[in-house]
Amino acid sequence: MSQAEDKFDSIIVGAGPAGSACAYTLAKAGKNVLLIERGDTPGAKNVTGGRIYTYALEMLEPGLYAEAALERRVTHEQIMLLGGERAITVDFHQPGFNAGDQAPMSFTILRAVFDEWLAAKAEEAGAIVACGIKVDRLIEQEGRIVGVVAGEDEMYADVVIAADGVNSLMAQEAGLIKDIAAKNVGVGVKEVIELPEQTISERFNLRTDEGAARMLLGCTEGIHGGGFLYTNKQSISLGCVFTPEEVARHRKSVQEIFQDLKMHPAIAPLIADGESIEYSAHLVSEAGFRGIHPRLYREGFLMVGDAAGFVVNTGYSIRGIDLAIVSGIAAAKAIIAAAENIALAGPNYMQELNRLKLMPTMKATDGYFEVLETPWLYDKIPNLANDVMEKLFKVDGETPSGVKENVLGAIKANGLSIWQLTKLGIKGVRSL
Amino acid sequence: MSQVIACYKWVADEADIRINADLSVDLSKAKGKISDYDKNVIEAAVQAAAALGGKAVGVTFGTADAKPSLKDALSRGLDEACYINAQEASQADGAATARALAAAIKKIADVGLIICAEGASDTYSRQTAPRIGALLDLPVVTSVSKMDINGNILTAARKLDDCMQTVKVELPAVVAVLPEINPAPIPGLKAVLAAGKKTVTELKAADLGADLTPRSTVSEVKGYVMNRKNIIFNEGDLAEQVKALAAALRKEGVL
Repeated sequence: MSQAEDKFDSIIVGAGPAGSACAYTLAKAGKNVLLIERGDTPGAKNVTGGRIYTYALEMLEPGLYAEAALERRVTHEQIMLLGGERAITVDFHQPGFNAGDQAPMSFTILRAVFDEWLAAKAEEAGAIVACGIKVDRLIEQEGRIVGVVAGEDEMYADVVIAADGVNSLMAQEAGLIKDIAAKNVGVGVKEVIELPEQTISERFNLRTDEGAARMLLGCTEGIHGGGFLYTNKQSISLGCVFTPEEVARHRKSVQEIFQDLKMHPAIAPLIADGESIEYSAHLVSEAGFRGIHPRLYREGFLMVGDAAGFVVNTGYSIRGIDLAIVSGIAAAKAIIAAAENIALAGPNYMQELNRLKLMPTMKATDGYFEVLETPWLYDKIPNLANDVMEKLFKVDGETPSGVKENVLGAIKANGLSIWQLTKLGIKGVRSL
Repeated sequence: MSQVIACYKWVADEADIRINADLSVDLSKAKGKISDYDKNVIEAAVQAAAALGGKAVGVTFGTADAKPSLKDALSRGLDEACYINAQEASQADGAATARALAAAIKKIADVGLIICAEGASDTYSRQTAPRIGALLDLPVVTSVSKMDINGNILTAARKLDDCMQTVKVELPAVVAVLPEINPAPIPGLKAVLAAGKKTVTELKAADLGADLTPRSTVSEVKGYVMNRKNIIFNEGDLAEQVKALAAALRKEGVL
């Protein structure tokens, strides 16, 4: 095989949203792109609960969302606080998120379907997609990354893009990250539970093609973490994320805690009679801005998406897929702009990340990390909220105590102090 | 006589097939794949083509859905592929399938060996190889677990119920191979990339000049449930219970 056949302009490792968006953009610009995926199909290795903000698809190509493999338009943003058997659900309904004359804001998605669609778009644009291939190593020459090794085959490129997800083996190979630090990740479990479309709409009070996205707090037995629930067309994605170190010390397994959540009186009716058609577990990047790796490139090598650490968890929403797409676009633009001197791809990439507002987004949400570090946020706070609610609504013919007394009593009963809550409040306000 | 044909079928991935509570079969979520046994067929064809010094050519008869099979099949080492893209494939029985494949194979020059799987992983009707042999008037060797080619003589080990049989056949011939014939390797990166550049000949039903009308039609496909016998051996003392259990197992023919 001649040298030309062994060489591409860019090799992208991983056909998730970041890799496929990057491949799509590069291929559209006429670049010779190879997109390598370990799974037999793109999305096969994926576990994300699944929502996408469409601005990222609009950035990739205006109007693209209309043909994307999407589930429901999210018009119900929900937060649920669980305390024992009790639950408080905040449901923000904005039908305007669903307006017909503009790109809707966000959709729930099933990643196995979505990823396959996006990779097919990249292939259509001219990228070569090779599935079922595991990249084992990078090839380095004179301090530059010049290609990849998969099994017995070597393949060369001007730039290799690591889009291989959290705990990126490519980035480790390139010496840009160390093995994963337990404190920066969560271990996530998810089930996809199948139900008739109509049943889901009724249970969540949704009109046709409307969807709900729900964050859950207080479902992790005090372990740093939380739950999520997304309504798809004919299924519900329900999952939990936990800090691995705390889980390891806990008396119950992740699976047991997750089963308890499914049995919770506020959750069980939502998924009743549903059939679990998929169960999966994966690592989730948790550290936000400070989880971004200090160096996202070296000569001939860029990191995008989860591999770079682009995930934002604010406690009320989790963003990763949109950021992955944006970072993939940024990498592609950086490479295209560096056509004359490929060594500029890295510095260009950092500029693009700023220009496309990805870095500013990560920075702006950095404070949430500290708030979310608060250990009692995961059991005492949701329980406290439920205690206050219970006292508020309980009528037993006795002289009602004042709301203030109720709250103070509940704070004390949950082993917390006004001072602790004030500090958290200040942190919270600062993080905003 | 140096070209080797690998016949393969694009089937629904059984991992995605669901049996509903009423035993109806739900194929709607099932992705396609090359029938597992046909992966061994392809590998056998690649090896045989090397032995004969010719090309390995994949032939498949499928609907438009089977198109993705080509890249996969070619990445497994085939030199070329011939894709009979016909809606008739969805209703085809063994006879129609063999007629379609035989008609396509006739268009390929210099064929020395035609390899099929003993059966497809969906229907496993074990008809394709014998019928192609009949249609093309070639000798057929089935249940082949090992084969060697020396000149134009193929020596095959046939795995029968309770013995092995060694058969010699002069090429051209048709063989139906068992999966143990080889370990069907997973294609590497360069093989996958090369697949995109290989020649695919696409044929329509009209190009074949063959009668694709099925003689048998599928009236129903249903799941089945194995009912447990639910026998409890609790009569008498332990020795008697064991005796009863052993007798019952003997009656079932498992002891």
